[in-house]
Amino acid sequence: MEELVSLKGVTRTVLLPDDQELHILRGVDLAVHSGDHTAVIGRSGCGKSTLLNLLGLLDLPTSGELTFQGTPVRQLHSNARAKLRGEAVGFVFQQFNLLPGRTALDNVVTPLLYARGPAFWRRREIAMDILDRVGLARRAQTLPNMLSGGEQQRVAIARALVRRPRLILADEPTGALDVDTGQSVMALLDTVATESGAALITITHDVNVAALARACYRLESGVLTPAAIPAGVTA
Amino acid sequence: MTGIISALVEAWQELRINKTRILLALLGVALSVAALTSVVGLGNLAREGFKAASERNGGRSATLGIGVYGPTQPDPQKLEDAYRGIIDRYGIAHYTHVTQAQQGFQFPRGVQQVQLQVVDPGYGVIHRLEVSQGSWFAADDEKRLAPALVVSEAFYDAAGRPNLVTNPTVKLAGGRATTAVMIGVVPDLYPEMPPSAYMLTGAAERAGAAGIGGAGPGQFKFWVQDGQAETLKAAVTSDLQRQFPGMQAQVDRMDYASQGDPFATVELAVGGIAGLVLLLGAVGMLNISMVTVRYRVREIGIRRSFGATSRRIFLGVMMESVVATAVAGIVGVMLSVAVVKNPWIQSKIAPGLTEYPAFPVEAAMLGLGSAVLVGALAGAIPALVAVRIKVIDAIRF
Ligand SMILES: Nc1ncnc2c1ncn2[C@@H]1O[C@H](COP(=O)(O)OP(=O)(O)OP(=O)(O)O)[C@@H](O)[C@H]1O
Ligand SMILES: [Mg+2]
Repeated sequence: MEELVSLKGVTRTVLLPDDQELHILRGVDLAVHSGDHTAVIGRSGCGKSTLLNLLGLLDLPTSGELTFQGTPVRQLHSNARAKLRGEAVGFVFQQFNLLPGRTALDNVVTPLLYARGPAFWRRREIAMDILDRVGLARRAQTLPNMLSGGEQQRVAIARALVRRPRLILADEPTGALDVDTGQSVMALLDTVATESGAALITITHDVNVAALARACYRLESGVLTPAAIPAGVTA
Repeated sequence: MTGIISALVEAWQELRINKTRILLALLGVALSVAALTSVVGLGNLAREGFKAASERNGGRSATLGIGVYGPTQPDPQKLEDAYRGIIDRYGIAHYTHVTQAQQGFQFPRGVQQVQLQVVDPGYGVIHRLEVSQGSWFAADDEKRLAPALVVSEAFYDAAGRPNLVTNPTVKLAGGRATTAVMIGVVPDLYPEMPPSAYMLTGAAERAGAAGIGGAGPGQFKFWVQDGQAETLKAAVTSDLQRQFPGMQAQVDRMDYASQGDPFATVELAVGGIAGLVLLLGAVGMLNISMVTVRYRVREIGIRRSFGATSRRIFLGVMMESVVATAVAGIVGVMLSVAVVKNPWIQSKIAPGLTEYPAFPVEAAMLGLGSAVLVGALAGAIPALVAVRIKVIDAIRF
């Protein structure tokens, strides 16, 4: 299977305001292949979001090697990283992060504004199709604040998938939802990711969510170790 | 290409969402663009009007007037011969005598004193006179038995507006009670202008119109190409000086172009004020864009996580302000067109014009251009702020 992202000995250190160094990641090794469904679990504040930012080309490692589709990320200019990110990565956030004041459809259209060619010119059509896929075609003209949490996250999933990314990164996608809604949203994410053949990396606290993954890692003291996939506790 | 178009699409969406707030800032921009554009447009109109009026009074560019002064009046016949000589020697095509006289005319409602200008056919060309009815003098009009008259609108009114095709006549009051024929009508220079009329020199002499001969030799003017004016002026002056020793010969520009632009200062002052207002509008716009950018930090982070490059973010934020001020600029220019092309305003600013000039394109371009410039300036600073936003900080929660 094609290797999408690979991390070798990746560290991430930030400088705190009092001039002390905080070593968030101390040496992470990970290889992500297309079609992977991976869960990352770990305590709050252990650096999961930091890891996800690196995978999604939003951040650069302090040291170590990070390659994206074979290209060492460090060699890419920030504009090139942005373009690659737009093409190949889709984010789903815990707080949905929909653009306020814009309809569901406009939100889904947003990533296509940064695309070229037919993806840009046919953006509304494409966005409408994917909204239909997440079952929200009828709510296309609704503003986010009129949608339920589960619906908002489905719009966010549609937005993450609208450019057919190879890699979907979900940072606690069910964190703001109740268990049942979370379960159905996660099932949807899992299905659409499988359909498109993309790799899905999910950060989660929820064992039911982790249970859907095909591989599981635990992040602890800055290193990533394989963990057993927890058995789902169906409510 | 797609980048610019999609930045435009994004900017338009953004503007639709923050309508009211932006609308207020734009009101200032639109009004000052309207002011700026109107100043140029009205200035242009006033200048055209002034030009028409001064061409009626002084002549078009370049009109030279001759005067010979001395302890005694120069001999009229000798002076006339000197004029003829100049016309022949320098091949001057358009020239005229101008003598002012008061002449009484017998109108249906009694005798009225009229300002009579005794001129040559060349006067019409030199002063760019346009008749609203009938025609200006032709060379052979001098040979008519009854002297021909070109009259002003007010004169024509006083005469009862007879149809010119019927060769209407009007009697000169006084001495010989000659009858004159009205052949053309020229528009008044300003509202309520007293009646006036033009008559050809030869005809006036034969008719013995009042004041002719008694009022001295009058003026002699001729019209030449702009470039020749200075050389001809010098040549004619020395020529006359030789023919009239002991006297002072003077040749002067009579036209408006030689006097500089009387509107430049006013226009500069009003334009400067409009520019300042525009700058104030820019500051208001800047203020709002700054606030908007601050509360949109998260949104910009989200856009960046979906592939917006920093260049795109810059363009997007900047474009918002440019699109907004451009729309305001268009509104301002339209407002200004409505003002400048308003018939009432036109008649007040340029009463001497029969045909008003088209709205000047450069005024519209200036208005629109300065609006876009203001937008770019007011957008650049928040755009720089937006570019410096760190994505990971923006989307952290
Ligand atoms: N730029 C930064 N400056 C200072 N501290 C940072 C920075 N980025 C991350 N941290 C710190 O590093 C630690 C890890 O942050 P991170 O957001 O990756 O944790 P997390 O595992 O996602 O936590 P949670 O489960 O609560 O979301 C936290 O203590 C955070 O405060
Ligand atoms: Mg986190």
